[in-house]
Amino acid sequence: MPQPALIELKSVSKDYTIGDETLHALANVSLSIKPGEFIAITGPSGSGKSTLANIIGGLDKPDSGSVEVEGADLAKAGDRQLSVYRNKHIGFVFQAFNLQPTYTALENVMLPLVLAGAGGKERKARAQECLNDVGLADRMSHRPTQLSGGQRQRVSIARALANKPSIIIADEPTGNLDSAKGREIMTLLAGLNKQGITLIIITHDMEVAKQASRVLSIHDGAVKEGRS
Amino acid sequence: MKFTDIIIQALKNLKRQKLRSALTIFAVMIGATSVTIMLALVTGAQSFFVSQFSANGTLQQIAISSQTDLAKFDQGNNGGGSCDSCVKLTDALVTKIKAVPHVIGVARRVSGGSLESVTYNGTKLRLQQVEGYDANGILTNTMLAGRDIAEADKDGVITITSDYADKWGFKGHYSDLLNKPVQMLTRNGYSGVGATIALPPQQGPDGGGGGNDPQQQPPTTLTATIVGIVDGGDRGETVRAPLAWVNGMNTQRMYQMTDADRKAQDAANRACQNNHTPCQPGQPKMTLVSQDFLTQNGYNGFTAKVDDVKNAATTTAAIKKLGVGAADAQSLIKQQLQIFNIISLVLGGIGGIALLVAAIGVVNTMVMAILERTREIGVLRACGATRATIRSLFTIEASALGFLGGAAGVAAGYGLTLVANRIINAQLGGSGLAAHNIITLPLWLIASVIGIATLIGMLAGLYPAFRASRLNPIDALRYE
Ligand SMILES: Nc1ncnc2c1ncn2[C@@H]1O[C@H](COP(=O)(O)OP(=O)(O)O)[C@@H](O)[C@H]1O
Ligand SMILES: [Mg+2]
Repeated sequence: MPQPALIELKSVSKDYTIGDETLHALANVSLSIKPGEFIAITGPSGSGKSTLANIIGGLDKPDSGSVEVEGADLAKAGDRQLSVYRNKHIGFVFQAFNLQPTYTALENVMLPLVLAGAGGKERKARAQECLNDVGLADRMSHRPTQLSGGQRQRVSIARALANKPSIIIADEPTGNLDSAKGREIMTLLAGLNKQGITLIIITHDMEVAKQASRVLSIHDGAVKEGRS
Repeated sequence: MKFTDIIIQALKNLKRQKLRSALTIFAVMIGATSVTIMLALVTGAQSFFVSQFSANGTLQQIAISSQTDLAKFDQGNNGGGSCDSCVKLTDALVTKIKAVPHVIGVARRVSGGSLESVTYNGTKLRLQQVEGYDANGILTNTMLAGRDIAEADKDGVITITSDYADKWGFKGHYSDLLNKPVQMLTRNGYSGVGATIALPPQQGPDGGGGGNDPQQQPPTTLTATIVGIVDGGDRGETVRAPLAWVNGMNTQRMYQMTDADRKAQDAANRACQNNHTPCQPGQPKMTLVSQDFLTQNGYNGFTAKVDDVKNAATTTAAIKKLGVGAADAQSLIKQQLQIFNIISLVLGGIGGIALLVAAIGVVNTMVMAILERTREIGVLRACGATRATIRSLFTIEASALGFLGGAAGVAAGYGLTLVANRIINAQLGGSGLAAHNIITLPLWLIASVIGIATLIGMLAGLYPAFRASRLNPIDALRYE
């Protein structure tokens, strides 16, 4: 029995016009993602990987086509609906970590919980739990500048986990790390996928792509199954 | 996101840029301080004057003065009827005023005596004038002991205000001072009732005989009996005596050669010359002449009473048509408030401009905050913040700048009112008014100044907050 899709993209296009040149960041992309999949998206720089990930994550909207998540079309959703979706269902992990420099690790992880309106005790407990899961139980009150690159990325993974998302989208999560630290982060993310979280990783690294259950490659906005 | 979390977040963000926040708050504070003092002054002065007048039931009274110019009203009221543009207040006028509709009575007032001191049992206190007015119930006093001056009272009866009684040591047992005698000492030159006017010293045979030099008249001691102790209120030390007696004190008496005297003298001289014999024309004869103060100058003022407060203004206008100055309590209040209104306008203007500048400062602060925190806004959006949440965060942050500035302004305003009250009290103290805290800071005023400042902060934050909420999250995340 085929599993129902978690995310279903149908004929998704996204164009950017600079001057009188139109650039197809995504050209008529259709794909479906099942729950629990581990997808690696590869492709050269500027091919549209981030655009695709952002559209799946509800951070961006396509110019045409539909993005169905649990029956609702993100392409037609309003700001509130998309925000709730990002808050509850998606966890973003960025190449540049994007941690709040003035916050402690704990406060950074609490951010999605605060935005969700969780109570003070609850949010603290959950954030501690997440930091514990990424192996930073002893770094809760450190600020990002007091942490190594690998540790910072762990904090951002903990933050992505805060609201128990069904999907984690990691846009080149190891791009700013040396290969040893990169492997650690990949092990951590792969472990989360094993716990049932759908994982979408954008990467140039073929080692990383090998761990995935499915690889998508993009060229000039067009998606192909498998390694290119 | 919970509202309390938004507030906490906004305050944390302000703390991140302490100096910039402090400067913006300071700008708001300047405006809020001016506005606080302005409002405090207006409301304080208003209630002060209203309470001043309504306390004595004077809202039904119309003060009538020889001075028609309202601006010089007080001058005319106190300085007697001897100014250039003044109308003489006569009994004939009283009759006319009584005929004005709604007027139910008129009290005439004379002050005088050119006094020096009043002494009880050896304790001498300062006394410049005694007040006399018709004891017809138009002007009333609150008695603390004894009775007020009555129509039947003759010379030698006074009431004193509690200030005197206190200084003579009768605080708490004023009635012990009743029917006690006091000595009122006049100044040099007093020639009114009670003074002994001596015949001027003999002059040479052909001396014209100018009569007494009034300045040569020695002080006179007038004895009076205290019949009542009056609650002085704001008037301080006042002695009241029957109108007729005060008028008597104002009377100037002196020995002069009258026309008749002069004729008699001339006749005597001529008789001597016609006789061609050595002849003594005799000492020039002099007569004691008195100049009635009222005939000369008129009354110091009248107070008319109207049947109802609501007729006060129209009746005042009607009385003015008789050619005298007239003012009901309301217009006196307005008059007194004018200076405060001017101060208020100036302060209000400064406050308004300061608040406008502060609002621009808030806009600037917030726009800078957005530039600094663009990436943070992207993170917030990625983590699930709605546009509305971003908007709230920045609006609340701007409102907090306003709120803190407003609160600081009220605090500073409060400090300044304490100082201002001291100064005003010192000024009023000199004019015989007891200490009063003219400037007050009622709760509603504090609340509205802080409210206005918060609102200004919020309005100034609207545009930056809107801009922040419109940022594209992807661009924001990429922002360096
Ligand atoms: N805001 C934008 N304005 C114009 N062009 C853009 C914008 N965002 C992305 N692009 C273009 O779209 C293409 C795809 O971008 P992106 O998805 O970020 O690529 P990748 O992540 O694969 O490097 C690129 O050519 C990029 O230059
Ligand atoms: Mg990219």
